[in-house]
Amino acid sequence: MPLIWLIVIVLAIAVAGYVLGRSRVMAATGGDSRKLHSLPSYYGYNVALKVVLPSFFLLLVWLLVQPVIVNGTVAADIPQSAIPEGSSRDLIMSEVRRTAEGLDNAVAQGIMTEDFATNARSDLNDVTQRLKDAGQIVTAQVTQPILQAAQRYRIMNDTGNLILSLLVILVAAAGAAWSLREMRPEFRARNVVERVVKGVLVAAASVAILTTLGIVLSLVFNTIEFFRLYPAGDFFFGTAWSPSFTGRGGSSELGVLPLLWGTFYISIVALLVAVPVGLFAAIYLSEYASPRVRSFAKPMLEVLAGIPTIVYGLFALLTVGPLLVAVFGKDGLGWMQAGTAVMTAGLVMGVMLIPFVSSLSDDIINAVPQAMRDGSYGLGATKSETIRQVVLPAALPGIVGAILLAASRAIGETMIVVLGAGAAARLSLNPFEAMTTVTAKIVSQLTGDADFASPEALVAFALGMTLFVITLGLNIFALYIVRKYREQYE
Amino acid sequence: MYDAPNLAESQVTQDNIKISARNVQVFYADTHAIKDVDVDILDKTVTAFIGPSGCGKSTFLRCINRMNDTIDICKVQGDIMLDGQDIYDKRVDPVQLRAKVGMVFQKPNPFPKSIYDNVAYGPRIHGLARTKADLDEIVEKSLRRAALWNEAKDRLDQPGTGLSGGQQQRLCIARAVATAPEVLLMDEPCSALDPIATAQVEELIDELRQEFSVVIVTHSMQQAARVSQKTAFFHLGHLVEYGETGQIFTNPEDERTESYITGRIG
Ligand SMILES: Nc1ncnc2c1ncn2[C@@H]1O[C@H](COP(=O)(O)OP(=O)(O)O)[C@@H](O)[C@H]1O
Ligand SMILES: [Mg+2]
Repeated sequence: MPLIWLIVIVLAIAVAGYVLGRSRVMAATGGDSRKLHSLPSYYGYNVALKVVLPSFFLLLVWLLVQPVIVNGTVAADIPQSAIPEGSSRDLIMSEVRRTAEGLDNAVAQGIMTEDFATNARSDLNDVTQRLKDAGQIVTAQVTQPILQAAQRYRIMNDTGNLILSLLVILVAAAGAAWSLREMRPEFRARNVVERVVKGVLVAAASVAILTTLGIVLSLVFNTIEFFRLYPAGDFFFGTAWSPSFTGRGGSSELGVLPLLWGTFYISIVALLVAVPVGLFAAIYLSEYASPRVRSFAKPMLEVLAGIPTIVYGLFALLTVGPLLVAVFGKDGLGWMQAGTAVMTAGLVMGVMLIPFVSSLSDDIINAVPQAMRDGSYGLGATKSETIRQVVLPAALPGIVGAILLAASRAIGETMIVVLGAGAAARLSLNPFEAMTTVTAKIVSQLTGDADFASPEALVAFALGMTLFVITLGLNIFALYIVRKYREQYE
Repeated sequence: MYDAPNLAESQVTQDNIKISARNVQVFYADTHAIKDVDVDILDKTVTAFIGPSGCGKSTFLRCINRMNDTIDICKVQGDIMLDGQDIYDKRVDPVQLRAKVGMVFQKPNPFPKSIYDNVAYGPRIHGLARTKADLDEIVEKSLRRAALWNEAKDRLDQPGTGLSGGQQQRLCIARAVATAPEVLLMDEPCSALDPIATAQVEELIDELRQEFSVVIVTHSMQQAARVSQKTAFFHLGHLVEYGETGQIFTNPEDERTESYITGRIG
């Protein structure tokens, strides 16, 4: 039975449970809802929730566990002799899955009967031919062990699905029956529903937190693995970044300093662009602009935030880079060799960050009470005096928070760097030279035919961890600043 | 019925008119908030504006220092003269006007700065102090006038927002006084204060009368009777009656005034 039908059935039971639960308590009080502990609909929700939650939970767990078990059992049964030289059990298993899927589709198209598909003694050539006729991708001749495994795979999955459907419907029905028995007028249905709502919200919050935890853990394990292969001192204090591309030998130099320097240099250029422009734009929008100007200027500015960074990257590569070369390059001041440089990436990244700074600052400036402004105007202050001396100081903690948030974005930005700043890791003060950042190097170390056991690939995780710690530190610092000022100003 | 004005002395010279308003109309978009108001406010006098909520007291008060300019939809017509000069004249800079006509608001609104910087704000903006010592002196004098010096002198560098409500309002008064205005407008300055703080502010208002012309909006008729020499009664945007405070409270001419002060409308 397709999954969608199963879900529909459970939902139907839930709806029926809602109606039944509601009418049952109403009948028990003779239709007088004032005698109920809770509103009638809460009794209905109570039944519906007890139908839906356990059965969907079961469904979810089953769907996660079944493939693991089936794969494991089938794989274990493939005889060692069936695995050719240079192949592995995993590769054979993907062949098995492909065959099983092919059989499913062929049966669905009517090219073979279910009996034929499950018949262990079928002619292999015939099966292969029929699968090919059905338009299924079969890499080679289907061999006997693969066909058997595939058949086994299909049967196990089918049985599993059947048991699942029955169990889920049973659980749903049991939930309905059990909760309907509870439906007496004095039953505290509202409290139960409240608890369930809270539970659902807690579950949602935990998903986010657990995911973060999972990400950190995966980073930590791989980072530890990296430091086993490569000395931590050389990583943190090495001033050269030159991974060897060919050999798995120890000729790579993986010092993080040039990458961190590139990251900070580009971020600082970006912030030097984004903070003044964004802040001034926010001040204009919130203090000077008429409602009409504001109503189209603000969305326009926010459109900038929606542009994918790869587009900014193209802008850097095709427009800003050549423009800078024309001014600072050989024909101009002679400071710049090529279009890819810290300046190119930094300027474009700054433009990307303007809407972050301006939008957040605008909200913060608007939140400063009008009474503050009135107080200042009432003393004969001009508009700009009021903004400089009253509004901005009051908004400062929030603005600092916005700036640090923008800094986090700048540090994590990749595409603009790849296209705008080049790929050369370099410790240099010249902003017109090509440099690269931590994120860009993470990408380049993991793309291509990376061997995940080599330090050249594992270094990506150490880099990721470093970045994670830095941005975490930055965010904690931002929170600290915001708290500190808030205490002072409230 | 009410205490006779005890703090206030009723002899005022009639010929020193500070502010004179003629035929003032105020509109908020389509709402006609102030209708045909004529009034002469005297120098070195406390004038009270009383009347039921929404009758336009604040609106009229805000006309006098052009604070209504900050509200887009607000339109003011008619003439308001300060010392014979039309304050709505194109040549008048509202910023300079507001330095001359200070304002204290209903809710204390100290800036998120230290107590010292709050008081020094106006003098700094208008360049009233040449040296740091000058500024220190202005701050101290203003805080003393606002009866806050003793409480605040040891914590001048702490944020003004950390004071109690009554102290904050006195800080706002000190802030307004420090700018050396000629007129002080106060919009229900005691409505957020407890009785003791209220009494302190009332005493302060009476002292301020020595130098300024004070206009105070109040909801409390007792307060109007205690602190003011002149009282104006507003009703539905009209100035119904204006005269000596004692006269208004003991012997009102208009029956709407009488109804209001005896508690029948409001
Ligand atoms: N900013 C404003 N926008 C629109 N209408 C306003 C505004 N301020 C006051 N009003 C209107 O003007 C009238 C007078 O208000 P106000 O002067 O605040 O009265 P009062 O201070 O006597 O209670 C009221 O009807 C009020 O709704
Ligand atoms: Mg008012």
